[in-house]
Amino acid sequence: MNEHVEPVYLEEKLEEIRADGHQGYRSKSLPTWCPGCGYYSMAEGLTFALRRLEIAYKDVVVVSGIGCASRFPFFFKTYGFHTLHGRVLPVATGVKIANDALTVVAVGGDGDAFAIGGGHIPHAARRNIDMTYLVFDNGIYGLTKGQTSPTSAVGFKTSSTPYENSDVPLNPLMMLLSYGASWVGQAYAGHQHDLADMITQAMSHKGFSFLRILSPCVTFDKTDNTYANLNLHVHDLPQDHDTSNLMAAMQAASQTDKPALGVYFKDDRPTLAQAMNATATRASGTG
Amino acid sequence: MMNRTGTDIQIAICGSAGDGTIASGDILKRAAALMGFNVIAFDVYPPEIRGFGKCISRVRISSQQSYSLKQNSDVLISLNDTHAIPHVGEVRDFGAVIYDDNLIANVPEGGHISGHIHPAQIPYGFSIRQISEQATNSARSRNIVILGYLAELFDLPREHFRKIIRDKFATKPRAVTDDNIKAFNAGLLAGSGVFKLDDVVVQKVDAKGNGADAEMMTGNGAVARGFMEAGIQCYFGYPITPATSIMERLAVEMPPAGGKFLQTEDEISAIAAAIGAGYAGTRAATATSGPGLALMAEMLGLGVMAEVPVVVVVSQRGGPSTGLPTKTEQSDLNLAVFGGSGDAQRIVLAPTNVEGCYRCAGRAFEIAETYQTPVIVLIDLYLSNRYETVIPSAHKQFAAKPRVPLAPNGDGAFKRFELTENNISPRAIPGEEGLMHTVTGLEHNELGRPNDAIHMDMNTKRHEKLKPAVNFPGLTVSKRFGDEGKVKVGILGWGSTFGEILETMYEAQAEGISCAAMKVVMLSPLPVESIAAFFADCDEILVPEVNYEGQFANIVCGALGKPVSRLNQTNGAPMAVADILAEVRRLSGKKPKTGQSDTFTEAAL
Ligand SMILES: Cc1ncc(C[n+]2csc(CCOP(=O)(O)OP(=O)(O)O)c2C)c(N)n1
Ligand code: SF4
Ligand SMILES: [Mg+2]
Repeated sequence: MNEHVEPVYLEEKLEEIRADGHQGYRSKSLPTWCPGCGYYSMAEGLTFALRRLEIAYKDVVVVSGIGCASRFPFFFKTYGFHTLHGRVLPVATGVKIANDALTVVAVGGDGDAFAIGGGHIPHAARRNIDMTYLVFDNGIYGLTKGQTSPTSAVGFKTSSTPYENSDVPLNPLMMLLSYGASWVGQAYAGHQHDLADMITQAMSHKGFSFLRILSPCVTFDKTDNTYANLNLHVHDLPQDHDTSNLMAAMQAASQTDKPALGVYFKDDRPTLAQAMNATATRASGTG
Repeated sequence: MMNRTGTDIQIAICGSAGDGTIASGDILKRAAALMGFNVIAFDVYPPEIRGFGKCISRVRISSQQSYSLKQNSDVLISLNDTHAIPHVGEVRDFGAVIYDDNLIANVPEGGHISGHIHPAQIPYGFSIRQISEQATNSARSRNIVILGYLAELFDLPREHFRKIIRDKFATKPRAVTDDNIKAFNAGLLAGSGVFKLDDVVVQKVDAKGNGADAEMMTGNGAVARGFMEAGIQCYFGYPITPATSIMERLAVEMPPAGGKFLQTEDEISAIAAAIGAGYAGTRAATATSGPGLALMAEMLGLGVMAEVPVVVVVSQRGGPSTGLPTKTEQSDLNLAVFGGSGDAQRIVLAPTNVEGCYRCAGRAFEIAETYQTPVIVLIDLYLSNRYETVIPSAHKQFAAKPRVPLAPNGDGAFKRFELTENNISPRAIPGEEGLMHTVTGLEHNELGRPNDAIHMDMNTKRHEKLKPAVNFPGLTVSKRFGDEGKVKVGILGWGSTFGEILETMYEAQAEGISCAAMKVVMLSPLPVESIAAFFADCDEILVPEVNYEGQFANIVCGALGKPVSRLNQTNGAPMAVADILAEVRRLSGKKPKTGQSDTFTEAAL
């Protein structure tokens, strides 16, 4: 792993998608992201995962918030719901509760997830709703043209922190682990194949899976989360990492200077749908 | 109220928390409903959860349809004199005050209610506590003793009381029921031989009375009932007074019926999940009060923009901000009709009584589905918590028709937002073959793709599609009552205040004032034509509302370009018939009447 991946540009990317023959999941709308944006890898990764898992388009709903990342649903030939800034999880929750047969993929940026939408994450996680939440974490607000985000590093200069950011960044992995997410992983947009595999694993998990994807915003961040920096620091979780050990996962997640990629934690426990069925049984007095 | 025939009595039971005041009122209203009377009842609890705050249960029992509580009660029963004394003035002349006459020696000067009864009122003192203790070895059944006394005083059928008492204590040990029946019988004995209120007629209810079919429901209970009959599939809610009992009812009833119920982390999440579930093709709803609706405003806009059917019940309380959580008000009309960013027209229904809560909640899903948009059912604390007898429909009138999916359109060309003749577009839901599409809160073209250039066309579509809603089949959108043709004074109203408006209208007619009233149930889109026709018939228009600015009057004046007279009060209570009547008299050119017209102010609620 750790192969060095150059930024991918739109035209070349499309060539690749077409050549690969699995554009089936992709809609006629071409991504509107900046050339080189890490998000192209996510479009590729989800396409791969859906094909691998052989899920019919009609049974997939991609739900997103607002932001560059949240443009995601438009690029797929599945059902999609581009909702409001920060509200991807509650809308996705409603979709999944309404029809448990659907495969629900929730998508958003770091601001969408951890700033405005931060209050919803613990509840989606603890309820163990069977869906996959992909957070494209570029440590910045892309769509609004480069302000600081809850995962920006201290000292980061943006248009809203011209004298440097002084707020300590959140640790999304530790948050999700303590919220009770039943699957927590981290991937990197620069490692496309691993990313596709991680999305596939996340989607195969029965329960709430949270995948943080480190991704450069090539337009508004020239100093911090660049491909060059991330390539230097990311590494895989040790082979012997025990995904059933919450404390080991916490320990690994606390190493923020050298982000480790892979599955941090995995737990099999009843999903919200199963819990609701059990409630219905108790309520009917048949249990 | 004078022009009524048959039975029309209002009984107020007042005590301290722990005296069983509300339980006593509950048995009284259920027994009266079982007898076949129309019942309207409203309980007032102390704002504090613990302690010995004041409780009042008011029950109006009538043989004809009534529309609100009466201004003055016919009977006040005191289970606690300190709390009941301020309410003595609420009893009409020649009405009764029932109290415990055994305690005079023990209370400080002025502390006994007998010293506060007006000369024109009739005192009925008897030893309530002693009788309770003799019958059951406990003072705790005082609240049942008084029911026996009442049954005797008005010669109400005893068996109906006994049945309700047995039902109420069915889950308790047998001895509890027995004791309560004993207490009731002891009350009967105490009441036998007391002289009756000679101006109260208790009509024998004929055998074909509503008794068996009629159910006592609160407005919130009626909303939950309407939802269940409509086959609600998903409910998401966050607790808030006075809407909470809707979610509590559904939490009990939905799971065994196969519905999905979830208490969410906040109101944003509740409406978001309901919109997600509506988008996924289910009947989904939430319920809240003003503060929650304020949080939901952005999401309602998404529902309008993405054209998702969803039902939101809003029970108003005093505002702004946390405001007066336990007091009624009609001040969230602006928020319900206009709240949110952009031109986000939605459908708002405001039922005027408990039966209306049941119907509007039941029909709301079908309306939301027809117009593919959020529907708000706007009620208030006064409607949420008051009891009325409702006869639910025997047949499933609110049930959804089975969905017929559209023909597949495989290549991503499905026009979810197609501009059609009637502005309603074909709708597909996730899981349906060959109709995949993405919906968005961004302005979008017919395919649902972000597009700014089409904004005017899409805005037009979203507004125009709602216009026919004022003719929605089988839905009372507005209705006129009272004198036909030209009248001197027309009273225009909405929501719970309409009960007091109707009572006022009957009083005004009885005084010889030519008077009509119109209720408007659909507040958005507004049934402008019928309101205009009403205006054309009335010399004067009065719009009474329990809000400060006259929010409905503003909307109506804006829509019709005509001035109206306003009557606005925000004292935490429903508007008093006497106050509306005074305005009607003034507008009709009649001199104000003097006499008994105490306002039903705070003391009442
Ligand atoms: C209620 C609301 N507040 C603010 C915005 C403006 N806004 C849009 S996207 C965004 C932040 C985007 O950052 P992030 O979620 O990290 O996504 P990215 O663009 O980086 O992918 C903001 C503040 C909005 N659309 N809605
Ligand atoms: S602004 Fe940044 S995050 Fe947004 S598309 Fe461009 S590179 Fe990607
Ligand atoms: Mg971001």
